[in-house]
Amino acid sequence: MSARATAAVPMRRPWTFRMTWVRVVLLAVVGLFVGVTLYRFLFGLGASTNLSDRWPWGMWVWWDVLTGVALAGGGYSTALLVHFLGRERWRALERAALLTSLLGYLMVCTGLLIDLGRWYRAWHPVVFWTHWNPHSVMWELFWCVGGYTLVQIVEFLPILTERVHLPRLARVVRRIYAPVLVFGIILPFLHQSALGSLFVIARGAVDPLWWSMMLPLLFLLSSFFVGPAMETMENLASARVHGWRPPIRALTEMVRLAGWIMLAYLALRFGDLAWRGVLTNAFDGSVAGNLFLVEVGVGVVVPMVVFLTPRFRGSRALLVTASALTAVGVALNRANVVFTAMAASAGGASYVPHWMEIAVALGDIAVAVLVYLFIVENFAIVGSEEETVSEMPGARPIAVPRPRGAVTAPGS
Amino acid sequence: MDAITSARQSGDPRTGRTRRDFLKTAAFTAGTAVATTLPAGPARAATPAELAEEHAGDPGMLIDLTRCIGCGLCVTACKLQNDLEWRRGQPALGPEAELASANWTVVTTIERSRGTGGAVRYVKQQCFHCLEPACASVCWVRALEKSTDGPVTYTADRCIGCRYCIMACPFDIPTFQWEEVLPLVSKCSLCFERLSRGEATACAAACPVGAIQFGTRGGLLETAWERIEGDPRYVRHVFGETEAGGTSVMYVSDVPFEELGFPTGIPQRPLPDYTWQITRTLPVAIVGLGAVLTALLHVRKRLAGEHAAGEGASAGVGSPGEPAADGGEGS
Repeated sequence: MSARATAAVPMRRPWTFRMTWVRVVLLAVVGLFVGVTLYRFLFGLGASTNLSDRWPWGMWVWWDVLTGVALAGGGYSTALLVHFLGRERWRALERAALLTSLLGYLMVCTGLLIDLGRWYRAWHPVVFWTHWNPHSVMWELFWCVGGYTLVQIVEFLPILTERVHLPRLARVVRRIYAPVLVFGIILPFLHQSALGSLFVIARGAVDPLWWSMMLPLLFLLSSFFVGPAMETMENLASARVHGWRPPIRALTEMVRLAGWIMLAYLALRFGDLAWRGVLTNAFDGSVAGNLFLVEVGVGVVVPMVVFLTPRFRGSRALLVTASALTAVGVALNRANVVFTAMAASAGGASYVPHWMEIAVALGDIAVAVLVYLFIVENFAIVGSEEETVSEMPGARPIAVPRPRGAVTAPGS
Repeated sequence: MDAITSARQSGDPRTGRTRRDFLKTAAFTAGTAVATTLPAGPARAATPAELAEEHAGDPGMLIDLTRCIGCGLCVTACKLQNDLEWRRGQPALGPEAELASANWTVVTTIERSRGTGGAVRYVKQQCFHCLEPACASVCWVRALEKSTDGPVTYTADRCIGCRYCIMACPFDIPTFQWEEVLPLVSKCSLCFERLSRGEATACAAACPVGAIQFGTRGGLLETAWERIEGDPRYVRHVFGETEAGGTSVMYVSDVPFEELGFPTGIPQRPLPDYTWQITRTLPVAIVGLGAVLTALLHVRKRLAGEHAAGEGASAGVGSPGEPAADGGEGS
């Protein structure tokens, strides 16, 4: 293993970015995103959103923050399994998971900044420590999300230094890598759960089907089990686009683990509802009750059955479908917490996102997808020829088959 | 601490245990670490009675809905005092009145179709100035604070505009300047500046019929219950006595509060207690998780060393019963 892996000489290959019609559409969405964001900064939230005092948090909080952070959960769950719990074979998934996660968090930070009324003060909490309020969950989120984004950038640097010749940086990163890995688990554990804790204080306002003292643990568990689902979709889609063979065995092992976590999640969810005596609310035929059943049934139970049944998860079509349902289920869960559960306390006021809110939410993803494609095609993410993972402590070369068709579009 | 030592013992290759044992132990220790983030046991939660005693001297207001005639002088006084504009489409008086960034207090007309001969009631709204305010507890930059004198105050130049306060307030009081490019939060300040000069709040001072009484919270509570005991037409409930742990602005009424649009289902417990139950476990969680993870990393490094010496064995760490596959073990 050693001879090839230790050769940390950067590749000299031209940068590539192949244009397809999908990417043209994505670029157009990015253009719209830039325009709308400019408009929002120039004219304010009132002009660009349908938010109100009854609905102070809307589309952006739901999509860019709550859902974005949860769906990026594959990064920390894979890191935990590979680096701390010895699941060596899943290392093949690590880089892709890390990349998605990093882009997800950059997207979250962007979304948050756009959502803040006085966005230009976003740096204040770093400096004005006398105004800190550690009792606020938002304070915890600020530090953990910000800190984890930095951690992920450091975790990503070895991938950069393989491609770009920066020997001094590579040395520094190697030295601090172990503590960074530890923080790369602690911080997401804290803020994934903190996103649930955010709503705990709204005791009287949140529908009892969703309000719970278990919210932090439920948010943490769901961000953990949605990780493998996201990685499955990402790896299979990326493999199809680039003509690679996906690491299917590692993926099926990961989703099986996700299945067990889903089972634990369901037990906790229903046990908690029964404990608080509101389980019957789910079956009362109300809109909230039905949305709860869809969220849990279609978004958790169905994919769980697929993930835990060897015959089902062996089918590529079922595997992808179940993974997509898991992601949709988590997004629906977050939507139910922010919207469905809050509807009754909004005093009859309604909220439908402004088209600009939707444009920003879509544009944020479009940027992430384009950057993902560029990085995957130019760096050693999904097992390309020159793997030099030796910079990561205890690393072994990625056990992924080589790409069938190399990406050979001409670059600059 | 037990978790760390047990991980060390079973994970150490020299004890002769298998890697799978190590994995199980590791999963267990990680689980233990997660469990520490769970709300553990009852929090220190002050009871409403304790809070009432502690805040008996705080300035407050008692609003008697049986006395209000809906004249709106309090609204005018508030706007003049706080330099707030009258806005078209945002009435501060009448059936459509609603709190807004320029309406720190409003008087809403509520006509009851049934009951006591189609009675009309006027409900004044403004910040309740909770004894343990949710808004201040969630404000992570200390823009909203519970001042030691009683009022819940707002320091505008700290606010970042995250709107968590608006989300967290059980009474839907704080409002946002949606129309502004660089908006702020706004709400009643209990005339903080007037109080410091020894004066009553502007709205209480303006009320011509004594519907808004200004005083200390303890004294006002006594007055409230005297009125209720002295007249059977009053509802036997002082709204704000125990809601969300107690508030500085309280109401008495002859019409049930839920029929006047007052929020129902507000816990008697101070709302910040719910969050605190979780947040207070964080230091333990951080230290515990950090220790467990560091131990795991240390153990893994040793294991990797042994495997490197033994060579080739690394790929054997699959799930039970499944052969190591996935093509090419790399070495």
